[in-house]
Parts: sequence; C-alpha cells; structure tokens
Amino acid sequence: MTLDVRPQLLDALSALRDRVAAARFPLPLAGAPRARANRDELLAQLDDYLVPRLRDPEAPLLAVIGGSTGAGKSTLVNSLVGRRVSEAGVLRPTTRTPVLVCHPEDHHWFSGMRVLPDLTRVWVPQQDAGDESLLPGDEGPRTLRVETVDTLPRGLALLDAPDVDSLLADNRVLAAELICAADIWVMVTTAARYADAVPWHLLRTAKEHDATLVTVLDRVPHQVLSEVSRQYGALLTKAGLGEVPRFTVPELPESAWGGGLLPATAVAPLRAWLVQQAQDPAARRHAMARTAHGALDSLRTRMPELAGAAAAQYAAALRLTAAVDGAYDSEYARVRGRLQAGAVLAGGALKRWRSYPLDCTAGELLDALSESLAALLLCAVSAADERVDDAWRREPAAGAPGLTDRAPEEESAEQRIGVAVRRWRRVVEEHAEEEVRGLEKGVAPDAEAVAALVATALLGGRRARAAGEGLAERIGAQGALRLRDKAGRLLTDYLDKTLRAERERRLAPLDALDVHPEPQAELIAALSVLQKER
Amino acid sequence: MTAVTAVTDHTDQADRPGDDDGRDDARVREEDDRVPGRDSAHPRDGDDGHARVRADGDAAASPEEGASGDGGAAGARPGSGAATDPPHTTDAAGVTDTADSPGGEGAADAGRGTDGGNGGPEAAQAPEAPEESEGGAWDDGLIARRVAVGAEGHVRPVPETAADDRPPVVTPLAYDGPLRSRLDALRELVGLSRARLDNRTLAEAGRILEEAAARRRLSGQHTVVAIAGATGSGKSQLFNALAGVAISETGVRRPTTSAPIACSWSDGAATLIDRLGIPGRLRRRPLQSPEAEAQLRGLVLVDLPDHDSAAVQHRAQVDRVLALVDAVIWVVDPEKYADAVLHERYLRPMAGHAEVTFVVLNQVDRLPGEAAHQVLDDLRRLLDEDGIALGEYGEPGATVLAVSALSGDGIGELREALGHFVAERGAAARRISADVDAAAARLWPVYANQRQAGLTEEARDEFADRLAEAVGASAAGEAAEREWRRHANRACGTPWLRLWRWCQDRCDPPTGRMSVRSQADEEATARQRVEQAVRTVADEAAAGLPGAWAQAVREAAVRGAQGLSEALDELAVRAGTPAGRPPRPGWWPAAVLAQASMTILQVVGGLWLLGQIVGVLSPNLGVPVLLMVIGIVGGPAVEWACRMAVRGPARRYGLEAERRLREAASGCGRARVLDPVAAELLRYREVREQYVRVMGVGAGTG
Repeated sequence: MTLDVRPQLLDALSALRDRVAAARFPLPLAGAPRARANRDELLAQLDDYLVPRLRDPEAPLLAVIGGSTGAGKSTLVNSLVGRRVSEAGVLRPTTRTPVLVCHPEDHHWFSGMRVLPDLTRVWVPQQDAGDESLLPGDEGPRTLRVETVDTLPRGLALLDAPDVDSLLADNRVLAAELICAADIWVMVTTAARYADAVPWHLLRTAKEHDATLVTVLDRVPHQVLSEVSRQYGALLTKAGLGEVPRFTVPELPESAWGGGLLPATAVAPLRAWLVQQAQDPAARRHAMARTAHGALDSLRTRMPELAGAAAAQYAAALRLTAAVDGAYDSEYARVRGRLQAGAVLAGGALKRWRSYPLDCTAGELLDALSESLAALLLCAVSAADERVDDAWRREPAAGAPGLTDRAPEEESAEQRIGVAVRRWRRVVEEHAEEEVRGLEKGVAPDAEAVAALVATALLGGRRARAAGEGLAERIGAQGALRLRDKAGRLLTDYLDKTLRAERERRLAPLDALDVHPEPQAELIAALSVLQKER
Repeated sequence: MTAVTAVTDHTDQADRPGDDDGRDDARVREEDDRVPGRDSAHPRDGDDGHARVRADGDAAASPEEGASGDGGAAGARPGSGAATDPPHTTDAAGVTDTADSPGGEGAADAGRGTDGGNGGPEAAQAPEAPEESEGGAWDDGLIARRVAVGAEGHVRPVPETAADDRPPVVTPLAYDGPLRSRLDALRELVGLSRARLDNRTLAEAGRILEEAAARRRLSGQHTVVAIAGATGSGKSQLFNALAGVAISETGVRRPTTSAPIACSWSDGAATLIDRLGIPGRLRRRPLQSPEAEAQLRGLVLVDLPDHDSAAVQHRAQVDRVLALVDAVIWVVDPEKYADAVLHERYLRPMAGHAEVTFVVLNQVDRLPGEAAHQVLDDLRRLLDEDGIALGEYGEPGATVLAVSALSGDGIGELREALGHFVAERGAAARRISADVDAAAARLWPVYANQRQAGLTEEARDEFADRLAEAVGASAAGEAAEREWRRHANRACGTPWLRLWRWCQDRCDPPTGRMSVRSQADEEATARQRVEQAVRTVADEAAAGLPGAWAQAVREAAVRGAQGLSEALDELAVRAGTPAGRPPRPGWWPAAVLAQASMTILQVVGGLWLLGQIVGVLSPNLGVPVLLMVIGIVGGPAVEWACRMAVRGPARRYGLEAERRLREAASGCGRARVLDPVAAELLRYREVREQYVRVMGVGAGTG
C-alpha cells in the first residue's frame, strides 16, 4: 500500500474541502448538532491532516498521544523524549495546551500553518527541565506549543493532546481535532480505565477510519500486570483490534502522578516502535498510506451523511416556507371572498352609509370605509400569522433564533396596512376628480361624493347597489363603470402588494438563514469527483 | 403462591447438577411459609421475614432482570476470580441465619447452590461486556461528543411484591409537614395539568410521587446509601472496608461488579432492599461487632456497578438504583475524579441532592504527600463548579472526604460521618425533597409566567371598544344625534323654510335615505373587527403565559367567539332601534308656540298693513310695521335659539344610542369571550399556586 498523489486528487480534495466548509446546518433539527460536529470534525481532518499529508508526503510522521484524563499522556510524552516538555501533574485536566515535540530540524514543518492552521503557535525557548515557569499561563484556548528536542529522531513528531473526556468541552473538541490530525494514533489507557466507554469509543472510531493505531496500557501495577494485560488483549481481540500493537507501561512509584520521567526502559518498546515507523522507509510509507487511505475511505460514509443532513435542512426549510405560503394563500382567498361579499361595508361603515348623505358627509363615509378595509386586511394578516405560528409550533426547525421569537418591529403591521389603505384612498379620490373634471361645469357633482360612492359600490357588495345607481346618475353610466373598474383594479393591486409584503416579512428571517438545495448535490458531486481521481 | 412457585421454577431452570436437597429445602420453606404467612401474628418477624423476602425478591426479580441481573451477577463471580472466597460469603450470609430454623439454612443453601450453578456456564459473559452495543449516541462515529447526550433516564418498574400481605414489622417513614404539603401540592399539580400537558412532561413528577409514596410505606429507621463511582475507583473496596468483611468482590478485571449488592446493618430493611430489586442472594450482613452495629445502625449499603464502562447494562442498573436510594456516596479516585461522564451525567443533574451526597476521594495512598490535598482541593473546586453545595463549616451540603480503602485511612472518619447521617434518619425525606426541587425546577418553563398574567382593565376596555366599533356604535350614535337634531330644527324652523324644504324633498329624493329602514341588514357587524378583537384580547391574556396555558386561553377565546358575530347582529337590530318616538324636550311646545306666534305676528302685522292700504283701518304705520318686523326677525331668532338649545339634548340622545349599543355589545362579548378566558386564567393561577407550593416558597414560611 503506497501513497501516490496526483495533482488532480489534490484538486478534488480541496474542492471537497471547500464544499464541506460551505455546508451550514442552521435549523435546529434533531440531527443538526451532530451534523455540525461531523462537519467541523471532517473539516479539521481535511485541513489538519489529509490535505497537508497528501501535499507533503515527506513531512514528519505525527504521532498523537490521546486518551482519557489522568491516563498519563504527558508523562508518557516526557518519558519518550527524555525531558519535561509537557506539564504533568495530579490535577485534572492537566494538559490544556497541546504540546508538539519534534526534532529541531523538523521544526519548520510545524512552525508554519501547514498543519493545524487554526491553532496559534506558541514558541517557548529552550528551558531547563523542571523549571516551574514551564507551566503555560493564559495563552488563550486555541494554541499549540511547539517544542524541539534532539533526542527525538528526525521524521517523527509527538503531540500531547488534551483529554478526550475532559470536563472542558473545548478541550474535548480540541482533542478530537488533534487526534484527527495524526498519522499514528497512540491511544493511552490505564489499568483502572481499560473498560471505560470513552476510550473504547475512540478505539472503535480509529478502527472505522482504519488509522495506524497503537495502544498503550499505562499505570499497571506490577502484581497484576500480566492479568490486566491479558484481559485488555482479550477485549481488543473481541473488538476486532487484535492485531493492533499493544504496549504495557507499569506503574512506577518514582514517576507516578506527574513526579517526573519514567525510566527509559519502561517506554523503550514503544519508543523503538515509533522510531522504526519513522525511519524505516517501508514502514513509514505503510503507516502513512494506511491512515491516509483510511481517512479517504471514511469520506465515503461521512460525506453522504453530511449531504443527508443538508437535504434534511432544506426539506425542513421547505416545510416552513410551505406553511407560510399556505397560510397566506388561504387568507388571501378569504379576504377576496369577503371583499366580494361586501364585508367592508359593515359596522360603523354601514351605519355611515345608511345615514349618508343627510346625516353624514362624503368624507366621513370614506374615512369609515378605509378604516374598515384596513381592519379587514389587518385581520387577514394576523390570522395568517397565527396560522403560521400554529404550523411552526409542530416543526422542530422553527426553533431557529429569529423565526418564532420575532423582535417587535418598530412599525407594526397595522401601521403598514394603514399607509397602504390611505394611499389607495388618495388614488381613488384623484381618479374621481379626473372623472368629474371631464363633465360640464354646471352639473358636475362634488368629487369627494363621487369617490365615496365609488368606494361604497366597490366595497359594499350587493347591499351597496344604491351607491352604484347614484354614481351612474351623477357621472353617467359609462363614467361610473370606468371609475369603478379603475378603483377595483387598484384595490386588487394594493391588496396583493400588502399581503405579499407581509408574507415576505414573515419569510425574511428564514431566507436569511440561507438554506438551499445546492449543498447536498455539491457534497455528493465533490465526493464522486474525488472517488474518480483516486 | 405464584411467587413461591416461581422460586422453585427458577431453581429448576438453574440447571443445578443434581442438588435435590436444595430443592427439597425450598419446598420445605414453601410449606413453612404458607402457614404463618396467612395469619397476621407472625412468630419470627425479623428473620423469617428476611428469608421470605429473599425468596420473593428473587422470584420477582428474575423475570425482570433477565440476563442482566443473573448472568451479570454470575459473571462477576467467575471460577477464575482473583480475590473471591465463596465460603466467606456464605458465612456472612449464614451469620444472620444461624439462630434460625432449618428453613433459614435451607435458604442460604439454596442461594449458594443457585449462585454456583449459574456461575459455571455463564462465567464467560463478563469479557463480552465491552462489546455490547453502546446506546445510540455513543456509537455514531463522532470523536468529540457531549457526554450528557442521550443519558438514559428510563426507570424500570420495581416489583412491589409481598409488601401488602405481610404485617408491617417496621415503622414506616414519616415525612414532616412542609414536605408532605409539597408532595400534596405536586400531586394536585399533576392532576390539574393532565389535560394541558403531555405525559412526557409530567412523567418525572409522577415518578417522584410514586417513589415518595413507596418509600413512605417502607422503613423510616433505615437509610439506604448507594456507593457509586467509575470502574476501578474502588467502590467494592470501600464497601468491604465499611462492612468489615469482604462481601463484594474486588479485582483488577474491569468492570468488576456487575449487579448491585446490598448490606444491611440491622433487621427490617428487607422491603427496602426489595424495592431496589436486589435478589436475595445478593444481600449480605456486615461483620458482627457491637460498636459497628451501634454506629451504623439502620444503614443499608448498596454497592453499585460502574457507570462509565463499556458495559451499558451497568449504567442502566446504576441509573435505576440511584433513583431509589436515600443517599449516594460517590467514589472517585485521583485518576478519574475529573471525568466528564461523572460530572456531566451525574453530579451536575444531581446538584440539588447535595445534602444526601458524599463524595469520597479513594486511593489517596497512591498519591504522594502534598498531592492528596491538592487533588482534594481541586475536587472541591470541580464540585463547586458543578453547583454542588459543599457541607463545610456546618452548612448543609455534600460531604467530601479523602480515604484509602486499601490502607484504611479516613475510613473511620467516613464511618463516623455516615453514622451521624444515618442516626439523623432524615436522608429519605431530604432526598425526596431534593427530587421535588429538581422536578419543580424542570417544570419551571411549563408553569412559570414571564409577567403578571391576567386580563387588565385596559384590555377589557379595549375589547369592549373594539366590539363597539364592530357594531358601529359611535357611528350609530352620531347618526342618531344628527337625525334628531335635524328633526328638531325642522320642527322649530320657520314655516316658510319648512315649506321650501318640503318642496325640495319632493323633487329631489336623496340617495341613502331611501333605504334607511327599508330592510334589516344582514351581517351588519364587521366580522373582521370581531375576529381581530377576540384575537387581540386572547393574545393580551395569553401574553407571558407558558405555552400550553397560553394555547388553552387562546382556544377558550376562539371557542367563545363562535357565534359572537351573529349574536351581535341580532343585538344591534334590537338595541339600535329605539322604542317609540325619540323623546322631546319639555320646552319644545313652547318653542313651537313662540315660532307660531312669531308667524302670527307677521301675519297680523301684514294684515294690519293691508287693511290700512285698503283703507279699512285707520292709518297707523308704526305698530303694524313693528309687529311685522318682530315677526320677521323673531322667527329666525327663535329658530336660531332652538338650534342652539337643541344641541345638548341631541348630543345626549346620540350618546344614549351609542351607549346602548356599546353596552349590549360589550355585555355579549364579556359573557361569550372574557368570562371563559378569565376562567381559564383562573385555572392557570390555581395551578401556579400549587406550583409555588411545590417550590416550597409558601411552605417555608408556614
């Protein structure tokens, strides 16, 4: 198994990386947190491991030491390099800043942003071992300390990762990211922990990814060494990891609990194995190729998973949109029906019309009619909103911030509708004036009265037939028809515009989330291009 | 008797290699028990009860536990086990039974036989444990994860057998007043909320009520303390150290203990242990020593399996038992004390249970000198971050101790603390109280309102205004006012003006007036305004209420609004038409008379002048002209005065018409919408009061 890297593969891989980076899962669906974590993890693995590894096959092998809190990872790293490079101690979690150890001549591989680009490098100059100031201060959460030691052979770097089950969630995520960046996964567990769920989970993940894996059973008391080792071996075999190299490090009184370094003999087999992986070209190629191929293979399941999550997001967004559309459509139909039936000419407006013209002026009638029309529109809009709320309450995706808990707008729907209705009224009045101006001076009726009659005839349905007759009497049947048609078209226009605007407002936060069908197809397409190039 | 039959069946199935004695003994016991079990005066209460319970517990537990209980237990005592000594165990069990009838010995025998029989064929189960499939969330290919995700909270029903037909030999637990009232309030709360909230939300509260009731029936003299912790932290070591004998198996093989083991320091705890679902063969007695007996009297210690190994069924067992015990000793070790699983899944959710929590840092012998203090301090810091109150300086809270089960350091201290704790006999009540606290906190979003709920006066007035607008009250009032004034003006106007108006009316009929009373309007009420008014008032009333209750309020409003528009239509017709003719002010005849006399003056003056012109009358220009001028000026003057005077009454008339319509509408709205809404709000307030009682705010002062 070798690693041959063609530029096309690298291109396909970077294209895939961009697609993964572009994938977003903003709607709080059941699978969304998982998909987000998956995406971050995949992106980290692509950025930190796969792309840099394929680009520079000759870069040093990176062995990441991972495991539970208190498993003795730092002590192990210190012992492997023979110097206190990573702080070890009895307080958990000990390692908060990951430490990368490499040969001085390999330093350039890691000082740049080639791997782990989103970790800030911290350079700590050479210090005396045991110096207390070795303990890093507040360096911010995402930093990487790079140490160089001569004792480590060239072509091998060790990375002391934080705990995989840390109480600090950030630490956990960082640990997972670092492990993803490894050529060689070194899993450390202890006599007290070898049956814990968390490390086993990691081991199983390593198996899934087919990474080059080595396990270390640390802190084994001498008297039970053989039995524990045997048990652990049996568990590994059961899990299908029987062929994984296994090293046992006994619990030594002089070194336990962060005191200092284990004697070289205790870690010699592990060290020898690691050095051999780094220096023997065949072994090195094999270790590298295995992890890289494993990672590439794992894309075959992970990408469709992401694509599925993206599709689910889009489907949920569609459902939300459909709920809004359905609500507004049905309300629109209802408003049309009510307009036809003359529902506007009711209540106050009807009373005004009944007393017109003796006890009520044309202006008052027009006022009452526009108010009534605004009330009808407002009622439709709030009914639609209520319907949308009802439908969205059943949708988990509607929990996204800004969808249901809408901030109170500075301008309420009532005001917006009021503005639209007033505008319609003004335009109707203008049309009426125009129509009246065309008539002879002597018989020309009051323009406002004409406008009021037109509005009544238009909005009053059957019960305002008298208004239509009166209008025809005043400006002639032709003019009446013309004016009425104009005002009717205007009314439809304004109605459409108002309801559409309200619907857009309702959908705006959803649109702002930017959920599209494209990511799904793009993810799958990028994967298939990659498969072809391999 | 089915329970006992099940025992024999169970022993049969255990494929014991030709152990006829044991089976016979079991039969003997069956005979033995049947007789005294019927009559209430039981001769050998304590011990025999204990033995019987064992049989019952075993029988009841076996179908429930299935492979996890039996197989797991069997796996824990393998033939190749490192540190087990079965004879010892049997001794410990035997100690209690030595002074007993042969039946008691038989039970011990049968217990051993079953254990041995099971242990043989199934000993190979333990190594398989890590391969068991993980519960969902942990097997998903993610490397980083939240530990709290998918924490299994399912609780298996506990077999409550033999609790009823046996006379109570123990003093049941008594809860103090405040707790009792809180539990009552919680029961009431659950009952009141059934119709509004789904079962899932109420499940936890229901479970706590059940547990509280079940615990109350059982011994108040005993305190059940569970030892929980991660695998390899030395739970069993500590258990043995406290008991003084090696009861629970310890070992390097992980996970070691796979089924809970109980150890009771005094008699009468059998039913309590039954409740935990621990079979008879896993019940032990501590080393008999008078001083230990005196110190820890009433303690029932339960050794739990680990909660963090790859064997998921262990976690299920732990979760089940932790929900039932009175107090918990969390055992941590220097290696694992900061594990996320422990803190996120157990300690943080149980932070409210601090008073019934011990946290013991075991294996301090593995730490060099100063380090033990450092680790202990760090552990305290972590617990503090978890929100667990620490019982320092005499304040109530969790007890944190450093011990070494291996060397015995700190065991005495722990024993003393436990002794005090058990002697107080308050743990069970405190645990239930903490449970109620936790349930109440979890129900907070379902019951809490953001602001004062209820219909304000303004909201009611606004609703009435909107309804009045829907029926057009103000427009109707204005129209009535103007109409009345118009009529009045006409009545008081000069006859000449009236004549002119009458002529005009005849030749030019006005548009709207023609149809004034011609037909009763259909749907005179503005539907959209009614709908909007109901929606607004419902939103107003529901604002700040938690989801389910807000929904209920809205539904009540919508239900009430059905038919409201039709009712308003009818009402507007009735209230809108005033009965009879509009009232006339008293001065009206006088005004008409004045107007008439003005006209008469005009006519008289005119006639007088005419007479002078014709020559019938003596010429006197002054008087008739004066008369006529008075008539001509006075007519409009009277008309003008009337017009001024009529304003007030007209306004009153219009307002009266408006008020009539408005009141009718608001009365209708109140009856149909506001009252149901208010009733719903009252129901919520009642629930909220119960909730406050559950929270213990009211009880604390009382």
